[in-house]
Amino acid sequence: MDNLIATGLIGISLGSQYALLALGFTLIFGILGVVNFAHGGFYVMGGYVAYYCSVVLGLPFPVAVLAATLATAALGWLFEMIILERVIEDHQATLMVTMGFYLVMATAILLLFGPESPEFSFPITGVWRAGGAYVPYANMVVIGVCLAAIVFVYWLIYRSGIGRAMRAMAEDRAVASALGMRTRALFPFAFALATGLAGLTGALVTPILALAPHVGDPVLAFSFLTVILGGLGSVAGATVAAFIVGMVEAYAAVYLGGSKGALALFVLVLLILVVRPQGLLGREVRRA
Amino acid sequence: MSASLAASAGALRADSISKAFGGLKVFHDVSFTLPPAGLLGVIGPNGAGKTTMINIMSGRLPLSSGQVLLGDTRIDGRPVYANADQGLVRSFQQTATFAGSSVEDNLIAALRFAKRDRSVLERLAPLLDRFGLIECWGRHAEVLPYGLQKMLGLTMALATQPKMLLLDEPAAGLEKSERANIDAYVGFAQREFGCGILLVEHDMDLIRRLCPQVIVLDGGRLIAAGPPGEVLSRKDVIDAYLGGADEEDADAQHS
Amino acid sequence: MSNQASIRRLPQARRPALLGGYEWATLGLVGFAFAVPVLTRNPQILSQTNLILIAATAALGVYIMLRMDLMSFAVPAFMAIGGYTVAVLSLKLGVTDVILLGVAAFVMPALCAVPLGWLILRLKGVYFVLVTFVLTEIVQLLLFEATPLTGGSNGLVGMPAVTLFGIELMDNSQVLLTTAGLAFAGFTITALFTRYFRYEFTAIEKNDVLAESLGLACWRYKALAFSVAAGVSGLAGFALVNMLLTAHPTSFAPMSSVSYITYTIVGGKGAILGTLAGAALLVTATDLFALKGELSPGLFGLLIIVVTLVARGGVIGLAAKAAGRLRRASPAAPARVAPIAAVPARGVKS
Repeated sequence: MDNLIATGLIGISLGSQYALLALGFTLIFGILGVVNFAHGGFYVMGGYVAYYCSVVLGLPFPVAVLAATLATAALGWLFEMIILERVIEDHQATLMVTMGFYLVMATAILLLFGPESPEFSFPITGVWRAGGAYVPYANMVVIGVCLAAIVFVYWLIYRSGIGRAMRAMAEDRAVASALGMRTRALFPFAFALATGLAGLTGALVTPILALAPHVGDPVLAFSFLTVILGGLGSVAGATVAAFIVGMVEAYAAVYLGGSKGALALFVLVLLILVVRPQGLLGREVRRA
Repeated sequence: MSASLAASAGALRADSISKAFGGLKVFHDVSFTLPPAGLLGVIGPNGAGKTTMINIMSGRLPLSSGQVLLGDTRIDGRPVYANADQGLVRSFQQTATFAGSSVEDNLIAALRFAKRDRSVLERLAPLLDRFGLIECWGRHAEVLPYGLQKMLGLTMALATQPKMLLLDEPAAGLEKSERANIDAYVGFAQREFGCGILLVEHDMDLIRRLCPQVIVLDGGRLIAAGPPGEVLSRKDVIDAYLGGADEEDADAQHS
Repeated sequence: MSNQASIRRLPQARRPALLGGYEWATLGLVGFAFAVPVLTRNPQILSQTNLILIAATAALGVYIMLRMDLMSFAVPAFMAIGGYTVAVLSLKLGVTDVILLGVAAFVMPALCAVPLGWLILRLKGVYFVLVTFVLTEIVQLLLFEATPLTGGSNGLVGMPAVTLFGIELMDNSQVLLTTAGLAFAGFTITALFTRYFRYEFTAIEKNDVLAESLGLACWRYKALAFSVAAGVSGLAGFALVNMLLTAHPTSFAPMSSVSYITYTIVGGKGAILGTLAGAALLVTATDLFALKGELSPGLFGLLIIVVTLVARGGVIGLAAKAAGRLRRASPAAPARVAPIAAVPARGVKS
């Protein structure tokens, strides 16, 4: 029973990280119509910037996390402005340049920091116990920050002027343009927001899980999983799906072992795509 | 418009068809019959549901209720290619060709997909010549002037030797001087291939010239049917046109 | 209408050959690989040629799907099915005949692709990409989990050498001959297949709505292509397993699909020769860069971005352009007809 609860909390912790990653991913798709293959790269970059700031420069951990968020957002902004913008109308080209950029990022990190995992651990140690359930404080901090970030993103999307414009874009780009919105001006902002979220997640999570140049690969796969499950472009769908994925992964790791949980999730996602291509909460399939 | 049973063999019949997108009714309880080798004009203000109707008749969109019959076969909701196999072929309002392929290859593609042989092209030669497509035989479709691209698309539809042609505003975007090509096209299709034609058009002069019968759609309802001279002088039809001028074009996003 | 006599005749029908210049050149180059073991015993060259041929054959799976503008990440999945089919047949059933194994390596993935294609080819553009990616992840996980059949994380090891008419193909040069045979088969199948259905594939790529309206059942051709692409990938999987003498999940890592896409895109997706050129250039480059650590992914990434931004046709596209310029510069060339300027669509009402 205690184990059940502890596993559930781990699931929530995983779910909240996936939610942050998937929110960014789905925003990029909804607003720009782009599948961002570089998403995992920004996650890794966030981890390394946080590592560099806190371990090498000796800055406080929260400052390091903030720096990681800003640095990834800034790079996302530049990438969108300089490269992605030029091919934004061609979905295959956007796929190619984000994929290429991911490879470049991963190699750059490898060159700068070497292939080995650096010594990077969460500054808060210790375990919270209630009855027989154990949950590391680190996970609770991650849950807290991620939930706060999710609330912030929701506020941004549903309550602010920028959010209204972004939702209108995701709804129907042609109509939004016809209404005189300066649609293009939103693209770098949305992209930077999304990559900043990925960087934030990386900064928070890599000290708990692992930090190495290649840890972006599974992040990409799980982001795919989450957004397909929730419906590409659907913000609420991505959030719900992220927690489903986190829970399944946590319980499967404890009770099934191996990669059976991941396998079950992937097969589930494949089936969902076949019977309900718009995902659990998505609307019409966007013709992309 | 009730046709006798004998005449309806091979006819294209819409049987009280309705279509709604979400809560929005695009059209409602529309019935009409296009006899084999017949010619029926469809007019109506923007947003009357004309393109949606072609999308439904060709199979691209499912119906909300009612049915579409070709002869005795129910065809609504079947794949577009299956209906094309049965001889029901549509044209598009915008230019529709295979970019990067020559005029010849575009036509050969149409023949291939409809499982026709090259002799059909020989029969189409007078039309191709008239449109000026033979001079452009080896040129890529996308570099042709707009009017030629449009005529190429129409000729490709005809190259499948359809029994029924659904033409979605063939004259839209053509110069006044090019519009006589549509007359020639419709006449040729009927005379040489015996096609039945459903002609959706905005150009009233063209409708008057060509169509012995028209139906008028407004706000998704069939408000009038009959010979164009008679129908176009009716007060409700004129009102529909005057009132419909400022309506949003609901067709746009589904075209 | 004008009277019959004045009507211009249709131009004489061209009967274009099934295979074009690019196909013949490519098949010639791949065929030349059979001669490499005769010309040299240098193990470095033999193994490089081997790697290039395997990479190029795998990249054909990407090339085939790109005929219809579909980007496939599924190549490693079908390579794995082909490779493991061969490993299981030879280890558990003692089949070593290279022709039998080759047929199995093609047929098994192609059959698996039929129901999958039927399921996922209704999905458009981006969704197709995502599903092929997910599919590759699933196969990778299955290889680890289905231990009784696949050996799990140990893989399948200790395969006997393949035989041709009872002769063992064992040493370096004979392994290269096997690879060359599989690559030649893969390239021949791809060339014939993509050229035979070129009208269908072009139509689906450029305007599938129009193609359907003319009577083309697009999904059938997509499913067929998906199946053939899977089969060709399976041949590459066989060649890889045969070279390594083991079937192991890491040989079919999901991210390796990125490499196969890179070969095709950088070489030039417009012609089959591009796939071969891309594989040859990049596999060689990987080898050179490996001296300074694992830098080749960065190079691949950079090349993908550059090609996408400034040279869509890839290496082959650039070469063709350069050749065209040379031909025009030479005085003997016939004057070219100036193309009619494209007229922008005007007066289009929706």
